Amino acid sequence: MERVIPIRTGIKAGTAAGFIVIGVLLYLLLLAGSEYLVHRNGHMNPIFKIDAADRERFDWVILGASHAMPLDFGGFNSEMEKQTGASILNLAGPGTGPLYNRFVLEHFLREHSTDNILYVADGFAFRSPMWNEDRLADGALLARTPFHLPLALNLAGYVLAEGVDPRALLNYLTGFSKLNNRERFRPDIWEGEAIFDRTFKPSAVAEKKRAEYLYPAVADEEAARERYLEEFGELVELARLHGARVVVAKFPLPSRFAALLPNEAEFNAALQSQAMQYGFTFLDFSGAIDEPQFYADTDHLNRAGATEFFERHLKPILARKQAPLNSSWDSQLAGRR
Amino acid sequence: MLFTSLSFVLFFGATLAGFLLLPLGWRWLWLLTASVVFYARFGPANVAFLLGVTVAAWAAGLWIAGVRTSGWRKLALASGLTTILGALAALKFFDFLAGEVERLLAGAIDLPRLGLTAPVGFSFYAFMAAAYLVDVYRGACDPERNAGRFALYISWFPKILAGPIERAQPFLTQIPGSLRFDPILAVSGLQLIVWGLFKKVVIADNLAPVVDNAFRIAAYASPMELVIAVYFFAFQIYCDFSGYSDIAIGISLLLGIRLMENFRRPYLAVSTAEFWSSRWHISLGHWFRDYLYIPLGGSQRGVFRRYANTMAVFVVSGLWHAGLGYGVGWTFLVWGALNGAYQWAGLATRGFWKRVSAVLPRVSESTTLRLFRIVLTFHLILVSWIFFRADSIGQAVTIMSKIWSALPSLPSLATRYPFTADHALGAVLIAVLVVIEVLDEHRPMARRLAAAPVALRWGAYYAGIFSLVLLGRWQAGEFIYMQF
Repeated sequence: MERVIPIRTGIKAGTAAGFIVIGVLLYLLLLAGSEYLVHRNGHMNPIFKIDAADRERFDWVILGASHAMPLDFGGFNSEMEKQTGASILNLAGPGTGPLYNRFVLEHFLREHSTDNILYVADGFAFRSPMWNEDRLADGALLARTPFHLPLALNLAGYVLAEGVDPRALLNYLTGFSKLNNRERFRPDIWEGEAIFDRTFKPSAVAEKKRAEYLYPAVADEEAARERYLEEFGELVELARLHGARVVVAKFPLPSRFAALLPNEAEFNAALQSQAMQYGFTFLDFSGAIDEPQFYADTDHLNRAGATEFFERHLKPILARKQAPLNSSWDSQLAGRR
Repeated sequence: MLFTSLSFVLFFGATLAGFLLLPLGWRWLWLLTASVVFYARFGPANVAFLLGVTVAAWAAGLWIAGVRTSGWRKLALASGLTTILGALAALKFFDFLAGEVERLLAGAIDLPRLGLTAPVGFSFYAFMAAAYLVDVYRGACDPERNAGRFALYISWFPKILAGPIERAQPFLTQIPGSLRFDPILAVSGLQLIVWGLFKKVVIADNLAPVVDNAFRIAAYASPMELVIAVYFFAFQIYCDFSGYSDIAIGISLLLGIRLMENFRRPYLAVSTAEFWSSRWHISLGHWFRDYLYIPLGGSQRGVFRRYANTMAVFVVSGLWHAGLGYGVGWTFLVWGALNGAYQWAGLATRGFWKRVSAVLPRVSESTTLRLFRIVLTFHLILVSWIFFRADSIGQAVTIMSKIWSALPSLPSLATRYPFTADHALGAVLIAVLVVIEVLDEHRPMARRLAAAPVALRWGAYYAGIFSLVLLGRWQAGEFIYMQF
């Protein structure tokens, strides 16, 4: 029977050490190159946006998942700033729940400040670790997250206190996802931005698939929601501690798609009750725009939709340099709808 | 816990540390514990199957060796083989066949189901256990009286998921005396691990998305897309499976254990007979030769029996491959039968080629003819892989007919095809593999590296390691063969 025949004459300790040292140096060299590419091709990653911010103080910071992202596509954020006179930084990230957004906000508040926070809430982001702990460990996001030692220490805290996979920290510290990033030479542009000017043709199959993707089966939905509402409460407290007022909004969704989402009424009620408890304003715009021509895909506003939504609802909010402490703007804004 | 996961790195680090710290006499027990823990990570229930096969084979081995009369020995062997191979057949095929019978009878009857699937690696360790019993029966192997050491042979963690299907005698004779860290073996082991990982996470897993996309929509895919997918799959399955074997052999060497070679540059075979007998999945090929082909009479009982035995081996090999990876289906039977037919063609034309060699010795030994035969063999195997990978015979036929009808216009289709970066990367990786294999065929790469200047040698090592970091797909799926 054939055997593997060893050829070399073994390992000498000094030689092995030399091999490892050179290997580590090469790794560090490649890591430096990867970090450079992260900065050169950075665009969408919220941590990159904080690094690239041209001012320390903002009137508004926008947080949330992908439904908030169209407000920063194709120069739309600059347009909003021009029309409202407010400085706005959009730090929303795709598929990110309150845990990830708190992590981002903590980094933002380290060297920046804001008077107001607009948090775009989605039911899906409050019911599964997939959109929270798992996002902090997601190689695709880590691959585009610039390195900061304080951020690494903060991530270590999330590993210890929030149950984030320890491999996330190891990945971030070693920069493995950056080195291993297949898209390393391409700009960090989310797929949604590429279709910002497109109009979606409604498709029941696509809508069902999307809803199933956003709302995977979870063991105990009630407990999960409670947990992430608590995390969100901490985010609100953090904002308050830094002098920022919070407005929570649900962004428009086509009614065909909204009808597929489970337990939205319960989620709204829970947010409403949290609004009372923490004293933030909760605005539900989910039914505000229904026409398919305002959507780029199943559930994201396109340029026309974002413009329509901004003109009709968002402008008066962002134009105010200071959000109200509590009670709803519903009554104030009702006349504008 | 796959070889490519961080949890395996931690597991192996702990295993190696314990191995080095413990005295020689205790090491086999430590490695047995590690092997059971490793297997349990794929589901604690799997350990019950592993234990069942281990106990059945160990007890039957002692029974065979303990009885004197031929009848009792045969009974002991038959009992052991029926238990082990019967369990394998039941787990693999019972539910599938019940479904097929119901389908044939148009739902007229409702057959019961086991509701079980073969646990990961079962096909491999069941065959090892069966080989052990036959070897004990034949006197080729002493029965192992120490149940723990026998359990280590069956459950040895580097090979339990996808082989090699190691024979008992060479393995057991290495325990416990060979369980030492040997720097010479360690260098070979590390070389094999890096090479195996390169084949798996860099080549196989970068080819996989192109293959999966085309096979998923085979009926709608363009002929060019299918051509690319079929070529890529040939290299994907080779790199996936041989990558696993290399890693398994490499890890074993780090722990002082030598396993048999399982692949020897199969796509450089000059005939399908050579491909199957001494280059592809060698441990399985030898298993079928020793425990099926020869007991059936091999080539010793006339031409008809030789042909029938050859076909039997390949059909059974097809059945063995039917599993979870690409489903249990008739495609595997066709794949086996097609390879059996290749062997028939080889047998039928052997006399003719011998005469040609005698008349034209220079032509038969020419590099051009050798190259032609390599390319021909590769393409014959390529066609059979379509059945291996397809979801159904219908899908395989669709793919082949689409490619066949487009063959004359393939060059023009290729010029118009929108090749992507994934295609380019796949082609480059295949080219790298082929160059290395050709060099290895003429002079082993390990020998070349040993003779090379240190800068070149280290450069090769760093190139291998950093290509894993830069190009590897570490989040990709399981090894294909561990699912069979």
